[in-house]
Amino acid sequence: MTALDGVQVAAIALLGVLVIGLLKSHAEILRQLHELGAGRGEDNGHAVPGGLALGGSNGAAAHDVAGRTPAGEAAVVAVRGVGHDTLLAFLSSGCLTCAGFWEALGAGGDLGLPADMRVVAVTKDPGEESESTIRGLSSGQTVVMSTQAWFDYEVPGSPYFVHVNATTGRVSGEGTASTWEQVVSLVSRAAADATRSSRGEERVDEELMAAGILPGDPSLYPAAPPGDDVPGS
Amino acid sequence: MRISAYGLAVDPPSGWEARIRRHPLALRPAGDGLRSHPVLHAADFALPEERGDFGSGAVETMKPSQAFIALIEYDPSSAATALFSSQVAVPLQVGAEDFSPQQLQRTIRGQAGTQRFFVDGGRAFCLYVVLGSMANRQHAAPRVNAVLSAIEIGPRAAPDLAELL
Repeated sequence: MTALDGVQVAAIALLGVLVIGLLKSHAEILRQLHELGAGRGEDNGHAVPGGLALGGSNGAAAHDVAGRTPAGEAAVVAVRGVGHDTLLAFLSSGCLTCAGFWEALGAGGDLGLPADMRVVAVTKDPGEESESTIRGLSSGQTVVMSTQAWFDYEVPGSPYFVHVNATTGRVSGEGTASTWEQVVSLVSRAAADATRSSRGEERVDEELMAAGILPGDPSLYPAAPPGDDVPGS
Repeated sequence: MRISAYGLAVDPPSGWEARIRRHPLALRPAGDGLRSHPVLHAADFALPEERGDFGSGAVETMKPSQAFIALIEYDPSSAATALFSSQVAVPLQVGAEDFSPQQLQRTIRGQAGTQRFFVDGGRAFCLYVVLGSMANRQHAAPRVNAVLSAIEIGPRAAPDLAELL
């Protein structure tokens, strides 16, 4: 009887060790899968470029965004020829990193962006995203479900942010970020660059005018050196 | 970029945005004989998500140079009523002289509006346009007309299953 009890205790202990080992192994596999991005919803394994890049005035031409809102409206949102810059936030419902951005956008209040900047969240079409899930995440924020916009802006995955300059109608900055603070930093740098550039041009104009050189003055267009071809001649 | 829904379509000019919607029927009692009718909104400013059919929630944010357009469909039975008997041709056009503060659904200082009731293809509509500034109507009317020219009214969309219950 005592020997049998001993065998049972040993068997239970062995089984316990095996179960613990299996649980540890399972946890390790899950951890490694998570690090590889499994289940985050990023698109088709495309790598999202790290960091945020400024496009300046030579960025790609911007496109208006057409699609459906989560409320079921057909919508076209203008980003060119408007009186405000636009920040397009390409997000999805399944990506873990996006959750923080949905939360930040839905919280309302001051997002830390320039006062006249409009934020538009863009998800893929209703066939690829759940309208009701996106409706639950959007909390009154402007959201357009448009896979076409993802193609137009060559979005590699979510989250991805595109800053459209209203004056030029071009992309002035784009990239990915892991926090809303990083996005605000991108936009602030782009805005500062644009202001610096604009002020520089204004200062040159002012100095030229102070010197009596007005727009169209021949001295602004020096003659080409002898032997140079004149374009168009 | 052209959008279409519920038998309406619009390809707004650059700088304009547009929405076409129909109210969710969940707000109406089942089998009450009412249908939810489409509404088209267009504006040269950012349309807020919460808007009334006649632009409440949006027109309050307008600047003097901006404009708001609403095309609201009514029940087809309205088409035979005197209100909709005007001989308005589509594409619709408005003139600067059509605008006045008295035409606004809700008076907002400085703004002006115009309303037209008409029938097209058996569908009864009200066109409602708001300008951010009455003083700017000479410049605004041609811009509004460019959008109105881009609106298409097609056959009425089939009712949803929920509407038939």
